Amino acid sequence: MAAGPASHGGLRRAQRPHLSKMERMVVSMQDPDQGVKMRSQRLLITVIPHAVTGNDIMEWLIHKYCITEEEALHLGTLLVRHGYLYPLRDPCHLELRLDETPYRFQTPYFWMSTLWPAAELDYAIYLAKKNIRKRGGLFDHEKEHYDQLHRKISHTWDLVVMQAREQLWAAKQRRKGDRLVIACQEQTYWLVNRPPPGVPSVLEQGPERNSCTAGRVQMPTGPFQTKTVDFYRREVECLRKALGRARVKSSVCLEAYLKFSSQRGPHDPIMSGCLPSNPWVTDNDTYWAMNAPSAAVPTRLRVEQWAFSFRELLEDPVGRAHFMDFLSKEFSAENLSFWEACEELRHGGQAQVPALVDAVYQQFLAPGAARWVNIDSRTMERTLVGLGRPHRHVLDDAQLHIYMLMKKDSYPRFLKSDLYKDLLAEAVVPPKTKRRVFPFMRKPRHSSPSPALLPASASREPSGGDGEA
Amino acid sequence: MAKEECKALLDALNKATACYHHLVLTIGGSADSQNLREELQKTRQKAQELAVAIRGRLTPPLRDRGLGAEERAEFERLWVAFSSCLDLLEADMRRALTLGTEFPLNKPLRPLVRTGVEGGAANVAARALSARSLRHEAERGFDVEDLHQLEREILQVGEMIHDMEMKVNVPRWTVQARQAAGAELLARPSAGVSSMRCVSVEQRMGPCDPSKALAATIFSAVLLAAVALAVCVAKLS
Repeated sequence: MAAGPASHGGLRRAQRPHLSKMERMVVSMQDPDQGVKMRSQRLLITVIPHAVTGNDIMEWLIHKYCITEEEALHLGTLLVRHGYLYPLRDPCHLELRLDETPYRFQTPYFWMSTLWPAAELDYAIYLAKKNIRKRGGLFDHEKEHYDQLHRKISHTWDLVVMQAREQLWAAKQRRKGDRLVIACQEQTYWLVNRPPPGVPSVLEQGPERNSCTAGRVQMPTGPFQTKTVDFYRREVECLRKALGRARVKSSVCLEAYLKFSSQRGPHDPIMSGCLPSNPWVTDNDTYWAMNAPSAAVPTRLRVEQWAFSFRELLEDPVGRAHFMDFLSKEFSAENLSFWEACEELRHGGQAQVPALVDAVYQQFLAPGAARWVNIDSRTMERTLVGLGRPHRHVLDDAQLHIYMLMKKDSYPRFLKSDLYKDLLAEAVVPPKTKRRVFPFMRKPRHSSPSPALLPASASREPSGGDGEA
Repeated sequence: MAKEECKALLDALNKATACYHHLVLTIGGSADSQNLREELQKTRQKAQELAVAIRGRLTPPLRDRGLGAEERAEFERLWVAFSSCLDLLEADMRRALTLGTEFPLNKPLRPLVRTGVEGGAANVAARALSARSLRHEAERGFDVEDLHQLEREILQVGEMIHDMEMKVNVPRWTVQARQAAGAELLARPSAGVSSMRCVSVEQRMGPCDPSKALAATIFSAVLLAAVALAVCVAKLS
């Protein structure tokens, strides 16, 4: 709709600050004393003023902003690509040339921030006008657009034709020089907004950043909307929430980050390479087999990782099993079993919750139970009260207590124990595969069989097509 | 007939909108001046008067349930053209407001953009008002009051559009336009559209048009024949 974008104009302009910066630059170029030097363009009979050359623009940019030539060239090219300047000799190629090719400034009506996005009705009228002027001599992509538009807005096609004719008549009332300039301006605008195929479009934006701000303030403030009480109320609410957010000092954050990176650097398969070899490169999947969750003999890197934190140890099934062995030697294996039972409760099905709570109580918490865990009295009281109404989080306090106990007490002893040292010594370090001398003698690559086919029917597959059910 | 009147009014509104668009193009450029702002005001006021008149003429037949099918189709077609024209006008008015506030006249700190367009557009405005010529009578500081006036008028037009949508229900997808694709290439009987060749120097592609090439070859052939005849006559005598 032609009228739609104007109301969002304020918001859109705020989201594209590079356009307002470019516009300020263009306006400062117009200064009569300190602006760019202007020349005149002389056609056969008419003389049109206000032409600038590429060199003038470059010099002005270098002088005003004290930048290098390369930067000035880049800035100038941006101005041309966004349509704020257009070349007079070769209008289809929007680029800044550093010779005497003349350029001219675009009128503010056709600036990207005023008239964006380009409306379809306007484009249809422009194509109709071009059709009339060139007697059907449109470019191919323009012809395609024309047909598409005719299908889309065929109900207003009367208006398109009428407006096209009338606009050409209105243009005829001007002098020839003005008419030429205005035609060039419109052509440049449509070259920027509907670029021909193969030319990169400057209108493309990446994914929406700052999506919180995009969704937050929906009411654009313009000449037509006043700031109501609701608006201010919403602002106050938003800022109050922002004050209450927890913040971490960046020094603490960065230290932790550095420690994490230095500790894990050698363990990362991409940063430090993986032994024996990267399966994606050499088609050899020993690496995956050796690091499978239930591998019999863990690799050395894996065993070293258990020393980083207690959570790592518990998350690795092999590590957990060895830790359980260690605890049973120390006669405190019931702690780990209790912890595992609580995890099952938290993540299990809703229907099993009452039964499971009961089982856990009988086994671990009741006085005189078979595997009684040592919890302090306050937590025990709270848990017993909560057991009256069982839900999946009743044992959270007790679980946390036992977890901290293991972490502070058993875990350091585990790391210093002989069991762990033996594990480290026995852990296997796979050798790196030797690079083959003759690179063309690689293992032939087979495409993996389709998972839908059963292995028994794989042999029948080449004969017919009846392998698939 | 009501339809012919409506058609004539719609043509006039179309003309006024096109002229207004043409005038708004130059705001903020080197041709911007007090006169331009005055022309803009006169053109848009004329356009608004026409819009109100058309709306008054078109609304009763469309709200009349007892109208015949093809009469109704005809009126709906006019209605769709009218509302699209009004949308174009409103969009141009909004842009004129933003541009007018950004580029106030007579402020040395905000120079106008030197676009190369000079010369007045009095003829354009005169065409919109269907007058022979236009007299400029504005005082200094006209543009600032004009902006307030423009804001009010934009709100009025917005309300009018909203009102129109509420009162008359014309589904756009059922309306068939009379002009087909490429209809603009057919010459209009009244104006010499074909004689208009807006030659853009920068766009001269290739040597020339095929018709011009044909005329040139015929002319040169005739010339050669004449020269040959003259030589024969000279030899004989």
